Amino acid sequence: MQIEKTFQVKEPIDKVWDLLRDPIRVAACVPGAKITEKLDDKTYKGSISVKVGPSVTDYKGELEIVRLDPQLHEIEILGRGQDIRGRGSASMKMTGKLRALDGDSTEVASISEINVIGILAQMGSRVINEVSNIIFAQFTKNMQAQLVQGANTAEAETKPLSATSVAWQAAKGVFRKES
Amino acid sequence: MRRASLKKEGKVVHQTSPEIGGMGHSVKRKEDLRFLQGKGNYVDDVQLPDMVFGHLVRSPYAHARLKSINTEKAKQLPGVLAVITGEDLAKSNLAWMPTLFFDKQMVLATGKVLFQSQEVAFVVAEDSYIAADAAELVEVEYEELPVLVDPHKALDPSAPILRDDREEKSNHIFHWEVGDREATDKAIQSAAVKAEVHAFFQRCHPAPLETCGCVADFNRATGRLTIYLTSQAPHAHRTLFSIVGGIPENNIRVISPDIGGGFGNKVPIYPGYVCAVVASLTLGRPVKWIETRSENLQSTGFARDYHMTAELAAGADGKIQALRVKTLADHGAFNAAAQPTKFPAGLFSICTGAYDLPSAFCEVDGVYTNKAPGGIAYRCSFRVTEAAYLIERAVDVLAQELKIDPVELRMKNFIPPDKFPYKSPLGWSYDSGNYAETMKVALDKVGYQELRKEQAEKRKNGELMGIGISSFVEIVGAGPGHTFDIAGIKMFDSCEIRVHPTGKAICRMGTKSQGQGHETTYAQIVAQELGIPAADVTVEEGDTDTAPYGLGTYASRSTPVSGAATAMAARKIQDKAKKIAAHLLECSADDLEWEPGKFSVKGAPSKSKSIQDIAFAAYTNMPAGMEPGLEAVDYYDPPNLTFPHGTYICVVDIDRGTGEVKVRRFVAVDDCGNIINPMIVEGQIHGGLTEGLAIAFMQQIDYDANGNVQGGSFMDYLLPTAVETPHWETGKTCSPSPHHPFGAKGVGESPNVGSPAAFVNAVVDALSHLGVKHIDMPIAPWKVWNILKEKGVVN
Repeated sequence: MQIEKTFQVKEPIDKVWDLLRDPIRVAACVPGAKITEKLDDKTYKGSISVKVGPSVTDYKGELEIVRLDPQLHEIEILGRGQDIRGRGSASMKMTGKLRALDGDSTEVASISEINVIGILAQMGSRVINEVSNIIFAQFTKNMQAQLVQGANTAEAETKPLSATSVAWQAAKGVFRKES
Repeated sequence: MRRASLKKEGKVVHQTSPEIGGMGHSVKRKEDLRFLQGKGNYVDDVQLPDMVFGHLVRSPYAHARLKSINTEKAKQLPGVLAVITGEDLAKSNLAWMPTLFFDKQMVLATGKVLFQSQEVAFVVAEDSYIAADAAELVEVEYEELPVLVDPHKALDPSAPILRDDREEKSNHIFHWEVGDREATDKAIQSAAVKAEVHAFFQRCHPAPLETCGCVADFNRATGRLTIYLTSQAPHAHRTLFSIVGGIPENNIRVISPDIGGGFGNKVPIYPGYVCAVVASLTLGRPVKWIETRSENLQSTGFARDYHMTAELAAGADGKIQALRVKTLADHGAFNAAAQPTKFPAGLFSICTGAYDLPSAFCEVDGVYTNKAPGGIAYRCSFRVTEAAYLIERAVDVLAQELKIDPVELRMKNFIPPDKFPYKSPLGWSYDSGNYAETMKVALDKVGYQELRKEQAEKRKNGELMGIGISSFVEIVGAGPGHTFDIAGIKMFDSCEIRVHPTGKAICRMGTKSQGQGHETTYAQIVAQELGIPAADVTVEEGDTDTAPYGLGTYASRSTPVSGAATAMAARKIQDKAKKIAAHLLECSADDLEWEPGKFSVKGAPSKSKSIQDIAFAAYTNMPAGMEPGLEAVDYYDPPNLTFPHGTYICVVDIDRGTGEVKVRRFVAVDDCGNIINPMIVEGQIHGGLTEGLAIAFMQQIDYDANGNVQGGSFMDYLLPTAVETPHWETGKTCSPSPHHPFGAKGVGESPNVGSPAAFVNAVVDALSHLGVKHIDMPIAPWKVWNILKEKGVVN
């Protein structure tokens, strides 16, 4: 499943790039995610907890920076994790690209190829899409906050999303589409 | 010639009074009194002292190696009594069990898992919530393996070999063929007109209202194991539990209480049942295991999943010369098909349908994939639905090629009434039928000519309207024991009738109703044969301790086989009753004549004895030397199968903007021979048509490339409600089965067998002028919309 997202931040491109190239700071913006260990400059260990309705999946795995192009402001990340209780796995290949806009703003464009196996996958793409929309909305909010406040002061929302709110918002998303 | 004289021209000769309520009366269903009051007694209603609860841990992966299972955290949860894994079962040689079709299936996984939702561990706890919570605490480490989803790739050299437990290192399960290949090839090669259709009958699931489950209760003191089971075949299941589990059969009692729909889904034995039995044997306490809806959809017997190709050869005159069929059957991870052992593709060779073909050839190959095991016969007599759908689709495509009306083509090729019993080119002997007559009744009822005119008018305005015809033939009532068996047990069935001194009776059967109304219809057969009012006859099924042995209810076999046994047992009782009546009336038995409910002396009708008088005498005043009592048992092995048929006509309108198909009318004319209860038949037809509608337009258990189930809940596997269901118009013709004791054929499955083709033919007909020849089910609006877009009908 491919998910494309584009958003803008009111910060200059170099400042945004500094954040984007640092998996630890990026992970801090993703609800439920954290980097637990840095193996080398390109490889990290981490986890992410995703709750959809009654289903909690705690993925634990590795993150690899496959490509980093400071000139073009492009990054390619490969992530892969298994649920710690053996409830499935997920992998993601994400390509991120920054583009400077007028007035010291930056456009962040990402294309993610997501592959999910297990109970989450059974929920179907519509639910995964909605969940990823919610995660992404939270992510951009957290990222804005990080950029404004700086890396050290950031107290981003890193708890996993609450089951009810995600399920409810996802459900709303589904029904909105169908009505 | 009693068999033949009972019914003539489809009319009941001995019409019983409404008070007696024999054949042909729409007696209200006895069982509905408790069902409608919520007083049914299903497996999940069973409550036993000390009962504990099981929950299965299932695999999220379609194909993965099991690296480790850690049950410690689960075992530490208060209230947890046991966690059983495949390794534990392997110690008692129970990690694998035989399927009903020469394969074996893992009870709990050892080594690796082969489909998503496969059973991995079984948790037993004091209540069902603790069991479910503990299942979450079982930690399983997997190593993912390449997944095989597409059956067309199963035999590629690059495909992973799924079943490394088998000697044969291949994903190929079986090749089966029947018919005259050479003659068929020749006919097709030299045909003036050919038609070809590639039809995929998608993987469906019966999705019965009640999911599967059991309560296993092993009594350590007596050594007896009682299993309350959602079983369509309690006797056969008892035998299998005994053989596989090594428990003496007299120490096993299977009880199928009320069953909330089966449709073939409750024919196989599932790992959850075996786990519950093992847990009860281990703990000495009753263990209940009940599936959730998703577990039912994702892991239990699916149906269909046939990738079929049919080719028809015809002369320019429209006479069909030959049919060639090639099919790839996707059986999932284990071949858990429930069908007679000589028939790896079931009765699929009924695929020549209602047509008189000089030659035919049919071949089927079965393969393994990383999907749930099956496939069972969903409201169908072993692959008959697939066959009926294929031939009825192919005939429509041929009509398109020939540019003639599909009705005309069918009429031209029907087996004529004077050719019965008809020997089909694929080896069946059709018992009776008048296909053209049934077609005519349906055409008149729907107003076919007017509809065609309307369609032509609408096409001029760009409106999309279609008329679909399906004139199907079924093959049910398995079956003659010389040809049919399930796991070696011949497919006879049985009935035991006991008439009490006061003239009331109890009737016990080898079958098991899952909602079909057996408690009413079997009572009506007894009423017909003995004149005891149906209201006075109790029908009991499902307890292997009390009922005579039988193979159970599926494949529309209850009426053709157990119904026949009921009539035969009743006739044995009538024979004895006659002797008692002669004794009471002090005359010769030859001087007596029978009318429902009494024997009277020929020429002196006032001198008579009612069946109630006779029953009382059987216990109080029997003739000297006669054995007391009035009861009989009959094990009936039918001489042939029965061949119900029908013509279904569907009229659809398609919304050009959205691709939505609206079923405007649906006329179903069925011929199931003599009818026991017209109201129940009508109900069966309504239910089956609604299921057919769902299959045609809404349902599929699909898998993504990783083997994730895409139809594993009612969010994705849709059920029609009253909103989606059109008004059904029914009709009938009657061609009694010549070999059945009262000329019945069975009807429960006809509407599910016959209707999918009618729906699809109607949609294709609506689009045929655009060059559309086939659309695979389920025909969702997006599929139609895409076609309309491709054909330039919408932008």
